[in-house]
Amino acid sequence: MSWIKITMKFDGKCLVCNQKVKSKEIGLWSKGVGVKHEKCAEQNEEIKCIICGGNSGCQTCEFLENCDLQKVSQLCICKKCEDSQDLFSTYQSAVIKKFPILKIQE
Amino acid sequence: MMWSEKYRPQNFLDLVGNEDARKLFVDWFSNWKKGVKPILLVGPPGTGKTTMANLAAKEFNYDLISLNASDVRNKKNIQEILTPVLGNQTVLGTPMIFVDEVDGVHGRGDYGGAAEIIKILKEPTIPIVLAANSSTSDKMKNIKKAVKVIEIKPLSPRLLRLYLNKILKLEDAKLSPGSLIKLISEARGDLRSMINTAQALVTGFNPPTEKSFESLDVEEGINAFYKANSVDEARIVLYSLRIDPREKINAFYSSIISSNISSDEMQESLEIISEADMLYGKIMKTQEWRLLRYLDSILLGLYKKDTTIRYSKYNLSWPILNRIRWDGAKIKSLFSLLAKNMHVSRSTFSSIYFPFMLICIKNKKLELDLDESFDEVIEKEIELMK
Repeated sequence: MSWIKITMKFDGKCLVCNQKVKSKEIGLWSKGVGVKHEKCAEQNEEIKCIICGGNSGCQTCEFLENCDLQKVSQLCICKKCEDSQDLFSTYQSAVIKKFPILKIQE
Repeated sequence: MMWSEKYRPQNFLDLVGNEDARKLFVDWFSNWKKGVKPILLVGPPGTGKTTMANLAAKEFNYDLISLNASDVRNKKNIQEILTPVLGNQTVLGTPMIFVDEVDGVHGRGDYGGAAEIIKILKEPTIPIVLAANSSTSDKMKNIKKAVKVIEIKPLSPRLLRLYLNKILKLEDAKLSPGSLIKLISEARGDLRSMINTAQALVTGFNPPTEKSFESLDVEEGINAFYKANSVDEARIVLYSLRIDPREKINAFYSSIISSNISSDEMQESLEIISEADMLYGKIMKTQEWRLLRYLDSILLGLYKKDTTIRYSKYNLSWPILNRIRWDGAKIKSLFSLLAKNMHVSRSTFSSIYFPFMLICIKNKKLELDLDESFDEVIEKEIELMK
């Protein structure tokens, strides 16, 4: 997936911040994917931690070389949270908190 | 049992990663009503597309009708399977359709299937979920117009580690930190392949691993299959051997036929090969490619622990092969020599003269003044006449 820097012809919606990318503004576009602000693209160098909400620490991650930050699922777990006990339950709780719809009532 | 099956998520919270996509998907199901655009899940293998469809059916109480590309190649098939479902017949419960690998319908294998699917997608009367590995091809354009696309991304390595550690804990198993990192890095976001590899490593067996859409060397695959310590390990190897089915059957056949196993064992194995061959013949004749899924289950019957069978590409036993290779050359030179003396062609000599000549030699009515090196081959030919 390659991102091309373009001057927007029409208004678009940023994939990262969900805000408008206005026409005549500079944006990054990828075929079949969408657009994002130039600033938002820079922020994408760090993925957020789903548990604490902070940065996941991608730049110091042991897997940095094997992780394509643009392509992977956009929420991860930071080193600090990874050390917590019963991590999977903690992760599930964080998911329920952020995406309550996923807890489907029987 | 394979871990990827044993630990298949039981609800949407058991999945890892792609939280946004999961939310959109559940949202879509929660608010589904007649006429709502179907969903297309696009993502690489092993990211949970099929699992999500299965979970949706379970959690929203739908009767899942699961199809794959081979089922929807032609219009007639689709109409036969889906027309009763798409009508208002309550006898079928509350159905939902899941078409896996829809990007495989197009091209030479498409006999009107894609057009028929698009027609159904445009007027959905029940929830329809499609899954594809990629949607960038021009051929997927028409399908994309009729659906809502949800992108399923590969999982980050740390999320893979989260899931793997959960499984290892439940299995009370351990992997060295080095193996763990290597395993996760090589998975490249493919959770299923990572779990399969981990299972293979933990059970003390290190076969070529299942990498979706990556073909393995036939020799390595067949050898690993017969060296496996259990049926489960053999199954992993067999499923990872993604080669042409005909080539797969042939590879097993040649390996068995050229091995030193007992006649009974060989008979048993050849019966299994014959069964696999018949299935493949049926598939080719009827073009019912969905039957292909049973091929590996049949071939798994070939597994025997501690067998001496190893890969061989020659479908004849060594004694016969030796004879063809060495004696064949000798006979050829004998034919050339004698045909020249008798002023006939080599083929005439071999087919007409030579059998009579052998009878004469056998009955000691004829003695040829030939090089000693030909004696052995003439004796063997006389031997074969009996």
